[in-house]
Amino acid sequence: MRTIETDVLVIGGGATGTGCARDLAMRGIRTILVEKGDLTHGTTGRYHGLLHSGGRYVTKDPQSATECARENVVLRKIMPHCLEDTSGFFVTTPWDDPAYGDVFVKNCRLTGVPVQELSVQAMLRREPLLNPQISRVFEVMDGSADSFLATRSTALSAEEYGAQIWTYHHVVDLVREGDRVTGAVVEDLRNGERIGILCACVLNAAGAWAGKIAAMAGVTVTVLPGKGTMVAMNHRMVNTVVNRCKLPDDGDIIVPIHTVAVIGTTDVHVPDPDVYGIEPDEIQFMLAEGDKLIPGFSQYRALRAWAGVRPLYKDRDVANDRDIPRTFKLLDHAERDGVEGMLSIVGGKWTTYRLMAEESVDALAKRLGNTRPCRTAEEPLPLPPTEHQTTFRPPVRTTGPGASVAAEVEALQHAPLYWLGKHLSEVEHEQSFADLICECEMASRSRVLAAIDAGAKNLDDIRRDVRMGMGPCQGGWCIYRTTALLFERRGEDGLSHANSNDALLHFLQARWKGLVPVLWGDQLRQARLDELIYVGVLGADRLRPIAEQGGGLVTDNPAVATEYVKA
Amino acid sequence: MNYETIVIGAGLAGMMAALGRAERGERVMVLAKGHGSTHWAAGCLDLFAEADDPLGAINQLVQTRPAHPYALAGVAALEQALARVRGVAEAVGYPLVGNAGRNLLMPTALGALRPTAFVPATMVNGEARQLGDGRPTLIAGLHELRDFFPPLIAANLRAQGYAAEGVYLELPPVERAHDFSPVVVARLFERPAFRAALGRQLAALVRKGGYARIGLPAVLGLYNAVEVVRELQALSGALIFEIPTLPTSVPGMRLFHAFEQALTKAGARLQIGGWVLRGEGSNPHLHAVFSEAAAREQRHLARRWVLATGGVMGGGLRAEHTGVVNETALGLPVRTPSGRSDWFQARFLDEAGHPIFRAGIAVDAQLRPLDAADQIVYTNVAVVGSALADFDPIREGCLEGVALATGFAAGQL
Repeated sequence: MRTIETDVLVIGGGATGTGCARDLAMRGIRTILVEKGDLTHGTTGRYHGLLHSGGRYVTKDPQSATECARENVVLRKIMPHCLEDTSGFFVTTPWDDPAYGDVFVKNCRLTGVPVQELSVQAMLRREPLLNPQISRVFEVMDGSADSFLATRSTALSAEEYGAQIWTYHHVVDLVREGDRVTGAVVEDLRNGERIGILCACVLNAAGAWAGKIAAMAGVTVTVLPGKGTMVAMNHRMVNTVVNRCKLPDDGDIIVPIHTVAVIGTTDVHVPDPDVYGIEPDEIQFMLAEGDKLIPGFSQYRALRAWAGVRPLYKDRDVANDRDIPRTFKLLDHAERDGVEGMLSIVGGKWTTYRLMAEESVDALAKRLGNTRPCRTAEEPLPLPPTEHQTTFRPPVRTTGPGASVAAEVEALQHAPLYWLGKHLSEVEHEQSFADLICECEMASRSRVLAAIDAGAKNLDDIRRDVRMGMGPCQGGWCIYRTTALLFERRGEDGLSHANSNDALLHFLQARWKGLVPVLWGDQLRQARLDELIYVGVLGADRLRPIAEQGGGLVTDNPAVATEYVKA
Repeated sequence: MNYETIVIGAGLAGMMAALGRAERGERVMVLAKGHGSTHWAAGCLDLFAEADDPLGAINQLVQTRPAHPYALAGVAALEQALARVRGVAEAVGYPLVGNAGRNLLMPTALGALRPTAFVPATMVNGEARQLGDGRPTLIAGLHELRDFFPPLIAANLRAQGYAAEGVYLELPPVERAHDFSPVVVARLFERPAFRAALGRQLAALVRKGGYARIGLPAVLGLYNAVEVVRELQALSGALIFEIPTLPTSVPGMRLFHAFEQALTKAGARLQIGGWVLRGEGSNPHLHAVFSEAAAREQRHLARRWVLATGGVMGGGLRAEHTGVVNETALGLPVRTPSGRSDWFQARFLDEAGHPIFRAGIAVDAQLRPLDAADQIVYTNVAVVGSALADFDPIREGCLEGVALATGFAAGQL
């Protein structure tokens, strides 16, 4: 077994893990990050994409609200290309306690969450489809975030500073010598090779899987995987994030992100972060809740449903999982359990990932005798190759609580904030109308090729980079095209037709599992057309005898099986 | 205007029925929201995919599955329908070749081999038994056409034992930027200079590689494909065959076009863009249907009706999230698998197919719609094609066969 030495081994390629890797590398600490799937394979890639203003937590979890409010501004400065400045509303519908509005505003002030009340008329001018029976509206600095792109950009920065990012590397075991964790054994899922990693410290940033990792070192960390189900609808019926003005509950938020609007979420405790299903009544419940915010919501076309598992850390008895604090906690296992050489960072929100990384790395750096300060809040993230530089800058917000921050961000002259017309403007700029591989999401051939060249290990990785296959047709055309491009691009690197066929069959199935919960109406019709295309025109089902995992791809490994199993 | 028969739906089933009625001398109109699944499918005639001998398999199936549309229409109707559709295609110089007793194995745009009973003459040189004669085949495409990738097609053919190589040709100069969809490229192939330029490239490749056959995307002209194929064969010195691409299906458009010509010749009227919203009848007779028209509903009267609006894919059936499946034009009763939880298999490509797609309208031996108690809903309505219950046209590989057989039967009743 090959053995490699490093200062810190980070486990987990979500927002927190990559954030830690970047911070460590920027301070000159040798770092390896291992992730069993693609970056964002866990919870980071399966959330609704809300950049929190903090508003959702001002009453139940004030510390988390304050952290969100601060980090919201920081993230706008360091990763504008990943964020859309949608702004956010908290609205009191006839189903909500009218007295909560005043409590909400008071608690926003106490926690430092900028807020401004708006008239219902002004709300309806901006979002005409919202329920006219809404009685009060409060505007906050919510936004939407591309968590794939943000994590890619963070990982790229980490690599530029010398960190090694190993995706599709599964931790098989942690090595413990006496009271000290001295490293790990990981398996490269592409070829089964096992590699030993010796390190001064392991940083467990595995989110909902942190308990499983800690157990390998004989340490108990109780993470309650809280399943949240979301549904993406085929229209942005609002361009502003809309929250119900009440304590956080199921189906109470609609996030406009890219070309869709996402309604979320449920919160169901599941025993294992790898084993959960989506129940039909969850979907029906959320569509019914959507109707309360936007009359007719349930009649729009649902595109797909998915679920993620919140990494809720439970350090005392809490009755309701929604009552577990959303804030994060850094566990020093030397102090807590008498085991040296390992820290776990648990809990938290996507919005606070950078702060979580900063605190974790501060503790680690101190231990390693490194005194360099954290700079992740100042230095902007680089653009990955799938992103194109654009010259157009969208108009800057001039009203509402986010206006002053928007002006401050604009003055930095970093990449512009994401806006809905961005990909269209790129297509217009490059004159690539006739070269779109995924028409639904306007993914051009050059961006798909860039994603392939960036090291995609299956078609799902390409989807995360360029949103190929995420639109209304759910891959009817682009799965075929992308498979063929993958074969042409990697054929000389040992990727065979059989590996390509396997990638196609794997991705068709990956899309299907997200479709089944929402198949009725037009989306069922679309699924049937896709069946005609893949069975009746292309005969993809007849390729099974010549389909085989390999060629540097990872498709069917049980360590990253994403098949939802009915719980 | 009073019609004797109005056919709702312009797919193969509806057009076959309309042709039958018009050729019997009736005044006929085809009223359709849009084109049928001809424009999506491969443009071949699938009769029954999972058997070497489709006709033999169908003869058995009508015994074991009496509710299957083939059993209701009868094997004789299928055979007569095949003869008639071949005549329709022949009349526009686009012959369909094959044999109901033996499936052909045709290469797809993935390089898989897919069974089908009849293919246009422009495809037949690609049949697997010919490809297997040991002489090399060239698969050629254009980078600009994003629905056809020669290297993967050729690699998959090689993996199945066929000597094949894939290559991209250089797009001959065109005067402006196009979105190179299959239809646009098919129009380019109608220009003599365009195909001559490609023919020269092919000839050079044949001289170098000694290819016996060349597979090209099925975009070789919209309505003169046989002529284009003949010319490319003369220019290149190899046999040419077309391989169906992703929708829009140019071979399917040609089939539609052939029926359009036959219907016009028979005096039938074809109205596309007439979306039938509801019917008006007093049991057991349907009197009128209403279609969406500018700012009002248009009322259509006829003595006899054929419903050929398709299944879930064609838009004839629509499933609601509540688990109810509706027939969209006339509100006929639909036979549906019990609850939404039973609609789907866990695997997308499960061989058994998804139960929801067997939903449809139950009919009697004269294709008249039945309610849940097996009573006839309308005596003057015949239901044809994929709107029918108890079969899965895509998974059984009988989409065109059932459309033609039931459409033919409704044309003769």
